[in-house]
Amino acid sequence: MKKKALKRLTICILVCLLVVGGIVCFFDPFYVYHGPLGGAEPVLYNRDYQMPGTVRNFEYDTVILGSSVAENYDSDYVNAQYDARTIKIIRASGSVADLLYYMDIAHEENEIERVFWSLDIFAMTSSTKTTFDKTEELEYPHTASPLDDVTYLYNKDILMEEIPLSLAYGMMDINTGGDAYNWAAEKDFSVAGAMRAYSKPAEIVEEANYSKEVELLHQNLEAVVDEIESHPETEYIIIFPPYSLMWWDSGYVNGIGELYFTVLEETLPALCELENAKVYYFQDDRDIVCDLNNYMDMMHYSPEINQFMLECIVADERRVTSDNVDEVLNGMRETYRYITEEGIYQYYPQ
Amino acid sequence: MLFNSLIFITIFLPIALLGWFGLQKLLNPLPAKLFLVGMSLWFYGYYNPWYLIILVGSTIVNYGVSKLFTVTKTKGGRKAVLITGILLNVGVLFYFKYFNFFIDNCNFILHTDISIEKIALPLGISFFTFQQLSFVIDRYRQDAPDYGFWDYACFVTYFPQLIAGPIVLHNEFVPQLQARKNRKPDWESFFDGTGLFILGLGKKVLLADVLAIVVNAEYNNIAYLDLPAAWITIIFYMLELYFDFSGYCDMARGIGKMFGFALPENFDSPLMATSVKDFWRRWHKTLSRFLTTYIYIPLGGNRKGTAVKCRNLMIVFLVSGFWHGANWTYVVWGLLHGIAMVWEAVFPKLRFKKDWMNRIVAGVYITFTFSIFRSESLSQAWLLITKLFAGGFHSFTVGLSNTLQLPETYAIRKMLALKLPQLQNPFYMTCLFLLLGISLYLVRGLKAEEWLEKNGCKKRGIVILALLFVWAFISLSQVSTFLYFDF
Repeated sequence: MKKKALKRLTICILVCLLVVGGIVCFFDPFYVYHGPLGGAEPVLYNRDYQMPGTVRNFEYDTVILGSSVAENYDSDYVNAQYDARTIKIIRASGSVADLLYYMDIAHEENEIERVFWSLDIFAMTSSTKTTFDKTEELEYPHTASPLDDVTYLYNKDILMEEIPLSLAYGMMDINTGGDAYNWAAEKDFSVAGAMRAYSKPAEIVEEANYSKEVELLHQNLEAVVDEIESHPETEYIIIFPPYSLMWWDSGYVNGIGELYFTVLEETLPALCELENAKVYYFQDDRDIVCDLNNYMDMMHYSPEINQFMLECIVADERRVTSDNVDEVLNGMRETYRYITEEGIYQYYPQ
Repeated sequence: MLFNSLIFITIFLPIALLGWFGLQKLLNPLPAKLFLVGMSLWFYGYYNPWYLIILVGSTIVNYGVSKLFTVTKTKGGRKAVLITGILLNVGVLFYFKYFNFFIDNCNFILHTDISIEKIALPLGISFFTFQQLSFVIDRYRQDAPDYGFWDYACFVTYFPQLIAGPIVLHNEFVPQLQARKNRKPDWESFFDGTGLFILGLGKKVLLADVLAIVVNAEYNNIAYLDLPAAWITIIFYMLELYFDFSGYCDMARGIGKMFGFALPENFDSPLMATSVKDFWRRWHKTLSRFLTTYIYIPLGGNRKGTAVKCRNLMIVFLVSGFWHGANWTYVVWGLLHGIAMVWEAVFPKLRFKKDWMNRIVAGVYITFTFSIFRSESLSQAWLLITKLFAGGFHSFTVGLSNTLQLPETYAIRKMLALKLPQLQNPFYMTCLFLLLGISLYLVRGLKAEEWLEKNGCKKRGIVILALLFVWAFISLSQVSTFLYFDF
């Protein structure tokens, strides 16, 4: 009798496991197995967990690449302007190595026509090794092997939280279409909101020796140039995003302002030389960077700024070329001087 | 390795069972035993292979001591071997478990500043040390035969009981290992084992780990607790500890049955005890058995009058306190249990007539003592005690219930947050009391094995077991350890 019961129990467990696995596989909220079903709008709300599946399993020809400041670009606008199918590839740190890891997969899976690369200054001095093992990253979305998928297929959080959440977001049209990964909702973009993120130190630190960072810069720049040169069929639109004056001032008082300029002075001319790259520079736009109403902290700006940059790019404004690169760099130096000597004191006491 | 992990359930256990029964088809049982020892070492060394040195070393040394009894004929010589064996085992346990504690206390008392590196506590060292101590003592008493090395190694390292008990005695295990009938799978026993494993897994993953969410959050915020929240916290801890440890033991016994081995029962509805003495007949029974057999009775037990009996009880519970850990909280916990045992021995008739009243008194006392057991230090325990008796009332229970952010209630929580935010707190409170109600119901209900015997083979029972397994299985993505691993 118990032998029969054992058989029944085994069958019952297997059926239940099949049903649970089937449900997760069907809804697949992290897009590990397939893209959106039946032409449904993808719901993208969990950057780190959904990114690997999205890059691997979606069909696209355009990529918006960068750190969290690139998340609020309206990919629908890009689609409309360029007749494109766009996905966002975002890594919080904007680390070049991490982004290139995803780009390698993107090139393997799809023919990429253009890349909007929001290139962060700090990313150019970040580690040249990927950081996935350093953050508490899930492993299964990164591997093609089905062996580790058991933690995805049989996971209470996926079944009871992620699937209902993605269905609800889909129905409520949240984080869909151009708003994929958009984090701006309920954020406070205001002077008070932004200033909460920065207490200006009273003392100024001397410029440090940053030979290590410069070495990293060279390695990262080489990787960026190599990425662009090895894909001549792809157009790279490189955007230098506008951090707030607090960010620049913080660099100044912490003795790393000159490092920022080293990055800019090496990166901008090198990128301008590349045939399939167009460079757009917004960090010297005082109307944006000196108005803290555009920011929620030192560097994260409102989606209107993302939209403004896209419109400039479509109109081919704010372009940097080999001809005007020195002028742009000098202009940035002047803006930096203005920020640290004058601009910052509109908000902080002298 | 943990029983409640994907690797154990999907890879380790199937390999262990297939290998064990596969190799039993050979005429010689040795390869199967070697395989079992190998698997047990993999299980033990999964997180830290260095611990294997201690386990293997301890096994070899104790086996060597046991061999010395074979060749030593004189009484004095045998006593010397016994003392050597006890000193070796206690020495290893002292070094790994109590040396840091000893140095800290020396520094405190003597105002010295001796600093040593923190010694990591190998998993389950108290369990396998006590198990081997019992063997050495039995060898001295000539109550244990001279086993072959691999039988002995199987007995010590057998993975279901290795890390957190039950404390199995050699004469319970080795004869089963040697029995010819156990060389073939017994499907009746396999079903019982599978059912027991599933019920234990459910206790651990679906109850203990959920109760732990509240307990851990509140023990980190004792200063903010009010009186009701403090009592709920300690009741939840008592329930967590019970479901955690008894769940582990159910799983251990279940796996044992899959292999065809019966491991001793460790729990018998302990939270239904009508006195502290009754509690110790039902809670961690194999530890009580060890302490009774190897400490209480040799000290004279209850044969030498009430005063000696009381002294012996206090000694046993002090040892029990120290066995649980190198912290004064355990010592105080042991003392409080010893005092209660002495009280019950001296005033056996000072009890209520109604058993339910005795149950409540015993339950409250035991729960209170375990709140000290859970505390990280005596000062934390004292803070909690002040909250238990003078914490006031400032609605902290609502905050406490809000820690129950379970995936199972996710959709409802989100819906309430969007549409009916005023109902969020009542919902959390409902979840909290529902959890308490379910836990108390299960504490009072049938034991796992009784339930299996009654319902296991019925259709309803099979469906419940299957659903329980799958629910627990999909809850394993965030694996937690067992509380008794530290002891």
